[in-house]
Amino acid sequence: MSHSNAHDNSINQGRAMVYRLLSALFAKEVDQPLLHELTSAQAQAFLAQLASDPLLGTDVAKINAVLLGLTTDKALLELAADYCGLFLVGTKHSASPYASLYMASNKQDGDEVLLFGEQHQQMLDHLEQSQLQVQSEFPEPADHLAVILAYVAHQANRVNSATQLAFINDYLNSWLATFSDKVGQCDNGQFYTALANLTTHWVKSDCETLAASQSH
Amino acid sequence: MNRRDFLKGLAATSYVTLSGASVLAPLNALASTGANANDGWLTTGSHFGAFKMKRKNGVIDQVIPFDRDQYPTDMINGIKGLVYNPSRVRYPMVRLDFLLNGHKSDTSQRGDFRFVRVTWDKALSLFKDSLDEVQTKYGPSGLHAGQTGWRATGQLHSCTSHMQRAVGMHGNFIKKIGDYSTGAGQTIMPYVLGSTEVYAQGTSWPLILQESNTIILWSNDPYKNLQVGWNAETHESFAYLAQLKEKVKQGKIRVISIDPVVTKTQKYLGCEQLYVNPQTDVALMLGIAHEMVSQNLHDKSFIEGYSLGFDQFLPYLMGESDGVPKTPEWASKICGVSQEIIRDLAKVMTAGRTQIMMGWCIQRQQHGEQPYWMAAVLATMIGQIGLPGGGISYGHHYSGIGVPSSGAAAPGAFPRNLDEGQKPLFDNNDFKGASSTIPVARWIDAILEPGKTIEANGSKVTYPDIKMMVFSGNNPWNHHQDRNRMKRAFHKLECVVTIDTNWTATCRFSDIVLPACTTFERNDLDVYGSYANRGILAMQKMVEPLYESLSDFEIFTRFATLMGKGEQYTRGMSEFDWLKKLYNDCKADNDGNFAMPDFDTFWQQGYVHFGEGEPWTRHADFRDDPEINPLGTPSGLIEIFSRKIAQFNYDDCPGHPTWIEKTERSHGGPGSDKHPIWLQSCHPDHRLHSQMCESEQYRATYTVQGREPVFLNPLDAKQRGIKDGDIVRVFNDRGQLLAGAVVSNRFPQGIVRIQEGAWYGPVGKDGSKQGGNEIGALCSYGDPNTLTQDIGTSKLAQACSAYTCLVEFERYQGKVPEVSSFSGPIETLI
Repeated sequence: MSHSNAHDNSINQGRAMVYRLLSALFAKEVDQPLLHELTSAQAQAFLAQLASDPLLGTDVAKINAVLLGLTTDKALLELAADYCGLFLVGTKHSASPYASLYMASNKQDGDEVLLFGEQHQQMLDHLEQSQLQVQSEFPEPADHLAVILAYVAHQANRVNSATQLAFINDYLNSWLATFSDKVGQCDNGQFYTALANLTTHWVKSDCETLAASQSH
Repeated sequence: MNRRDFLKGLAATSYVTLSGASVLAPLNALASTGANANDGWLTTGSHFGAFKMKRKNGVIDQVIPFDRDQYPTDMINGIKGLVYNPSRVRYPMVRLDFLLNGHKSDTSQRGDFRFVRVTWDKALSLFKDSLDEVQTKYGPSGLHAGQTGWRATGQLHSCTSHMQRAVGMHGNFIKKIGDYSTGAGQTIMPYVLGSTEVYAQGTSWPLILQESNTIILWSNDPYKNLQVGWNAETHESFAYLAQLKEKVKQGKIRVISIDPVVTKTQKYLGCEQLYVNPQTDVALMLGIAHEMVSQNLHDKSFIEGYSLGFDQFLPYLMGESDGVPKTPEWASKICGVSQEIIRDLAKVMTAGRTQIMMGWCIQRQQHGEQPYWMAAVLATMIGQIGLPGGGISYGHHYSGIGVPSSGAAAPGAFPRNLDEGQKPLFDNNDFKGASSTIPVARWIDAILEPGKTIEANGSKVTYPDIKMMVFSGNNPWNHHQDRNRMKRAFHKLECVVTIDTNWTATCRFSDIVLPACTTFERNDLDVYGSYANRGILAMQKMVEPLYESLSDFEIFTRFATLMGKGEQYTRGMSEFDWLKKLYNDCKADNDGNFAMPDFDTFWQQGYVHFGEGEPWTRHADFRDDPEINPLGTPSGLIEIFSRKIAQFNYDDCPGHPTWIEKTERSHGGPGSDKHPIWLQSCHPDHRLHSQMCESEQYRATYTVQGREPVFLNPLDAKQRGIKDGDIVRVFNDRGQLLAGAVVSNRFPQGIVRIQEGAWYGPVGKDGSKQGGNEIGALCSYGDPNTLTQDIGTSKLAQACSAYTCLVEFERYQGKVPEVSSFSGPIETLI
């Protein structure tokens, strides 16, 4: 890892911070330590800055409103149940966060593909090339949305815009909108619907940023 | 603000986002989940057979049959789908309202499926807390941990043993007697032939092929059912079925399949079928017996020398005791077989060497004891019990029965019970007047009517007041009858714990769900061939347990450790220590008879072969000398009349085989005016009970519009405006389901088949997503036990009567719901 890398600038730092936040929120339920962190002054300033983008403002506001309303253990558990129903069980009536379920070339209407398949392998290859692996405490297939977002965050400071854009196109843009719609359909609350929307909009505008920087 | 400033502004907040919680870590070549170091071919096995599996890039890539398996089942194509299934239980989960309110939770929510993930520590302590609460408040009669089932194969990790040993170390609990498959058979046969018969080794196929003139397959479909076995199945039986097919073709053996439908076996063998009205086989048997007596065809000297009670049976058969002679004419009116054919059968069965092979479905009905008993009487009258290729068997369709045994000792297993001298944490044996063991299929009755006393096999059983159930590798929301009744019962339970690999309906109706890994994520060993004992198979771990799943050994070691009994539980031995012990104990048992290499060599080679066995004839020793080798019956003889059973004085199971009308019977029987169709819910062709139903791509090879097939007669279908491929609603007063029509003339009018093992997927009554937890919900996939009747076979066995079930069906014109069975828990509360 080279910190003198030419791509390591504050713009990419800001981008990476957003990707890391999104990855963290998709990786697990909001628990007390995470809530504490998200409601800290620094994080609130970060969210306020994020909300200043009109495209993102509504969803950031919804997310923050839910976070600030999580004042009891029961409220946290209710949100955890939303997370569980969406991301931890089954695939048909939930919004499983695995790229393979949305991207598989052999997927036919009504059929489901198996997990730990093609997209998982491809992501493992990417990670290995970057001398990375999925954290052992996160025992999920490598095509989990949280892994893909964390990898984009990792790339932000390390590779050129074209490479980043190509990766995002291949591993996020191909399924994120469908995934986001599914979250909207299946979510019992508002938090994850807003988070999925935020992710979609953020990635879209980030692609524009990357494309613009390429043309410079 | 331009984009650059916006992004710089984000960076300026210096918000360090959860850097410690990143899902990525620097590559550790040794620990990498994607390591290729262990890629290659390994050996393993399952109920579906033994395999070679190839691991590539850390995942299972190919599964091919073991080289000794000449007749592998195509269910092998479903194996990968079990491991990488989207509906795996990935983490320990707790139903939210249970987490919030414990034993005072709103149990009517059970089935609304709102769960949260918890850590293993939390889940296991909740499990223990619940056991503590039940043992403290109610004692052992409040806990039922005895509903156990087909598990996954493996002598070490067998989930039933682990769960019952660990829960037994905590406290005592209610257990079951019998099983769903053969409950009536295994209860009646010890009175008649002295053993359960259903699980006994049978006469070897080579002798049957050599000696039999006629084989009667009575309600028996071995070609379908021999695909799976209790242990790793060798499929050697199929070589003998292939020889039988050839002999049928050559006219050397006459095989008659007595069955309401054209079975898979009949189709394969190209043999004859004798249609019989559903549930009327006893009448047909009595008609044949009457003809044998009338024509003096029965073997009087065998009856005299080897059986007891023919004299007490004869007056009933001839009508002297009840005024109804059981003539072919009488039988014909009930069973739908012509008098001529009944008369001819009596001649055919007594003319040469006749082997009767009974299936199990026929005893999974009301009075299911009777056809088994009466068939034994027929075999006694034929007089060939104990001769090669003659007599009667009750298991030639099961786990390779009839394949000669090697004679080697099989490996032992991880202990199910406590070791000698060990005491449970709650050392309380006070069941408060309730029975500590109840008939397997009567647990829902017990939950609904605690304290009630019933008759069962000569004893009184008083139902315990069950407050908590623990299930492991067992899916009663498949195998029990009447889903709506089960829902009512589950509302009464305070706590339900299930350990499984996938989100079965049982998991979904639980409070605590613990993820077990599959067979292919742990090391184990198994006997190759349940009855053949052909060898010992290494079950080599293919991949590490996925997600946070654990092996049963690990789950219950942790649980025992929580009780301070970890060392006691494992006896201080690791997984591999145990494997070595089981292997070496087996090696010692076989010393001098069967050569076995040291453990390391065995593990590396993956298999030890014990060789072929010698053909053997069931009951030959008894026939040879009934005094020296008596049967296990009270008299030591075949009991045509059982004094013991007669003394019980049961109206639904008298002292000799009897034709008794059913509460529901098609083809003119009771209830057929309202629901005219008989539902047959036999063992599936493409699953082991409910195991493998979840395997997505394999399931797609047999489903219709994503639903379980319902096999329909063409005329019945036409009368209801149904075409092949339509979605059909099948219903009665107990429930309703959707299934996909397969129209086939293999199924006579008035009969439909929906194979059991179809996963329950309730949705709202009208097909809407909400309301699956309600009484009367529609099963979106086609689980036949939505419709079946939850009554005991009789006061004797009190076994499952799934086959006594009438339904009606129609083309479904409502809103077609998505199948909800395979998706894990879904919130469906209205």
